[in-house]
Amino acid sequence: MADSYISDNEPTTRTLLRRVLDTEDSRTPRRRQSTRAGAQRTLLETPFSMMLRSQTKTAARRHSYRRRSSGRLAHIKTSGYLKEQTPRTLLENILQTAPESSMVMPEPVVKPVPAPQVVQSPSQESSQGSLELQLPELKPPTSLAPSLLASGKRKQSLRLSAFQQGMDQELLLSQGPFTEPQGNATATSFTSSLNLTFATPFLPQSVQRPGLARRPPTRRPVDVGAFLKDVQDSVALALPGDSLKSPVATLPPDTVLEDTQPFSQPLTGHSPSVHHSLSCPPVSTERIVSSRTRSRRPGLQNNRKAEEVDALAMEFPNTGNSISGEDGLEPLQDGVDKEVEKTVQEILDLSEVKEAAGAQRSTRAEEPGRDTKVIEADGSWGATEAKEPKGSSQLDMDTTGRAGSSELASSTPEFLQARQLELLEPAPPTSTAVQQSIPGPSLSSEPLLARLPPRTRTTGPRLRQDPYKTGLSHYAKLFSFYAKMPVEKKALEMVEKCLDKYFQHLCDDLDIFSAHAGRKTVRLEDLELLMRRQGLVTDQVSLHVLVEQHLPLEYRQLLIPCAFSGNTVFPVQ
Amino acid sequence: MALRTTISQRKRIKRKAPRGFLKRIFKRRKPHLRLERSCDLLVHLNCLLFIRRLAEESRTNACKNKCGIIKDQHVLAAAKVILKKSRG
Repeated sequence: MADSYISDNEPTTRTLLRRVLDTEDSRTPRRRQSTRAGAQRTLLETPFSMMLRSQTKTAARRHSYRRRSSGRLAHIKTSGYLKEQTPRTLLENILQTAPESSMVMPEPVVKPVPAPQVVQSPSQESSQGSLELQLPELKPPTSLAPSLLASGKRKQSLRLSAFQQGMDQELLLSQGPFTEPQGNATATSFTSSLNLTFATPFLPQSVQRPGLARRPPTRRPVDVGAFLKDVQDSVALALPGDSLKSPVATLPPDTVLEDTQPFSQPLTGHSPSVHHSLSCPPVSTERIVSSRTRSRRPGLQNNRKAEEVDALAMEFPNTGNSISGEDGLEPLQDGVDKEVEKTVQEILDLSEVKEAAGAQRSTRAEEPGRDTKVIEADGSWGATEAKEPKGSSQLDMDTTGRAGSSELASSTPEFLQARQLELLEPAPPTSTAVQQSIPGPSLSSEPLLARLPPRTRTTGPRLRQDPYKTGLSHYAKLFSFYAKMPVEKKALEMVEKCLDKYFQHLCDDLDIFSAHAGRKTVRLEDLELLMRRQGLVTDQVSLHVLVEQHLPLEYRQLLIPCAFSGNTVFPVQ
Repeated sequence: MALRTTISQRKRIKRKAPRGFLKRIFKRRKPHLRLERSCDLLVHLNCLLFIRRLAEESRTNACKNKCGIIKDQHVLAAAKVILKKSRG
C-alpha cells in the first residue's frame, strides 16, 4: 500500500523525514548510544522501505530485527524495545508503526512541504519527542465540533509551518488505527486538536506575536550639550544655599560653548590614542608623555579651558561613568582626559603642600575664589578615581591626592588663606560645587570634619556634648521606629531629655544595688534585679527571654551561657 | 572550645549597642564604680525596653488625642508614667 507513495515523485512528509533521518547526524546528547543509533540508521535504511510497506507493527519489527541482527551490532536487537526515548527513535517509531495509508487530508495541506523540511530537521526531531509526550495528554479531550475543526484545520493549514502539517499527517496516520472506529471526523478532530495544542508550544512567540520578540535596545546618541546642561543644573541644585549660585548660572553656557570647540581640534591628533587609553593601560604612559611634552601653562586661556574641562571631567567620571562607553561622550571625555593629564602633570610638578592645599580647598565649598590648580587637582582626582587606574603615574597621583586629602585634618586655615591670595583668577564657583560632589566617599566625610574646627574653636564642652547627643539621638531614632508613627522633632528632643533622666536613674540604682551587695563593680545580677524591679523581668518572662528577643545574636552569645564541646561553658560563670 | 567574643563572619550587626557610649556615661556619673564585662549590653537592653515602653505610651497618648503625629506633650505625659515605672 505504501509502495505507490514511496515511488511518488511528490515529496511526502514521510519521505522527507526519512531522508532527514538518513542524512542527519544523530543529535542525541548521549554519546554512547550515538554509534548504536548510527548503526541502526544504516541498518534501517533499507528495511525502512520494506517496513513502510508493511502495515503491521510486527512485520516491521520483524524486518528491522532481521536487519539488525544481521548487522554488525547484534545486541541492537535486544535494545529494540529498550531504545532510549530520543526524538530520533520516536520519529523512527512513528515511521515504523504508522501505515503509509493515503491521507485523508486534502491535497493543499500536503503540498507545502518543501525543502524547509530538511532545515527544520533538528527542530523536528526535538519536537517529535514533545509531540509524543503530548499525545497521551491529548487523547481524552477531543470534544470539538467537527465543523469548527474542519474550518480550523483549513486555517491552520495556512498558518502552520509545513512541517507541522506533515506531522499532522503522521499523527493522523498513527492515530488512524486507534481512532478508526470513531470515524474520520474524530480523527480530524484529533489531529486538529493536536494541531491546536501542538502549535502553541512550538511556534515561537515572535511568529505569532511579533511584539513580544526581544528587540535589541536602541541606543540614542547622547546629546552632549543637553547632558552637560542637565548635569550643571543638577549640581547647582544639589548645592543650594551657597553664595556660588549666581556664578553657577554663568558656568553652563560657558561650558556648553566651550566644551565642544577646544577639544575638537586639538583632540584630532590625540583622540585615537586617548580613546584607546581609556581601555588600555599601557597606552596611558604614552599619553602622559605626550601631554608632558605639551606646554604646561600656556596661559590663562588654557587654564580657563582646563578649568571648565576639569569641571566637566569631574562631572563625567562621577555621573557619566556608566555611560562612558557612549560615543557621544567619548570625544569630550578624551578631551577631558587630555586636559586632566595636563593638570596631572602640573600637579605632579607642584609641591605636595600645594596639592594638600588644593585638596583642602576642593573639599571646602565655601571659598568663592579658586585656584585652577585646585580645580585641576580635583579634576585629576575625580578622573583618576573614577576611571580604572591606568598607569603608575596616575596611581601615584591617586596616592598623593589621597595623602593630600588626609592631610586635611592636620592642615590649618591660614594655609587656605595663603592659597587664596595666590589665586590667579576667580574660578567659577560651580567648579567648587562640582568638586564637592566629585570627591569620592573617602573624602566626603572630611569636608564636615575639616569644616567644624575652623568654625568654632571650642574644644572642651563641645566635645562632651556632641558624642553624648549623638548617643542619645541614636536611641531617639529607635523611639521613632518603635512608635510606628510620625514623630515631631520637638518630641524627639523631649525623648532625649527623658533618656537623660533615665540614665541618671539607672546609674543611681545600679550604684545602690552594688553597694547593697558590698561590691564596687556592677554585675549582671545587679542589672537583673533592676529589671525585675522595673517589671520587665517577671516570673513568666525571664531575662534570657528578653535577651533573645531584643538583642542581636552576637550579644546573645555573650550574655547567655551556653555549653560547648570539651565540657566548657561560655561565657564563664 | 569557647566561642570568640569577636564576630568573625558577620562583621556588621544591625542595631549595634553603643557600648563605648554607655560605658562613658556610666563612668562620668559614677567614677568610683566599674561595669562588668557584658553589663553594658544589658544596660543597652534596658534602654531598648525603656524606649519601647515610652514609644508605646506616647503612641497611645497620641491616638487618644486623635493625632496623627506624636507631639512632645504626648511624650511628656508618657515619660511621666514610664519614668515612674522604671524607677526601680
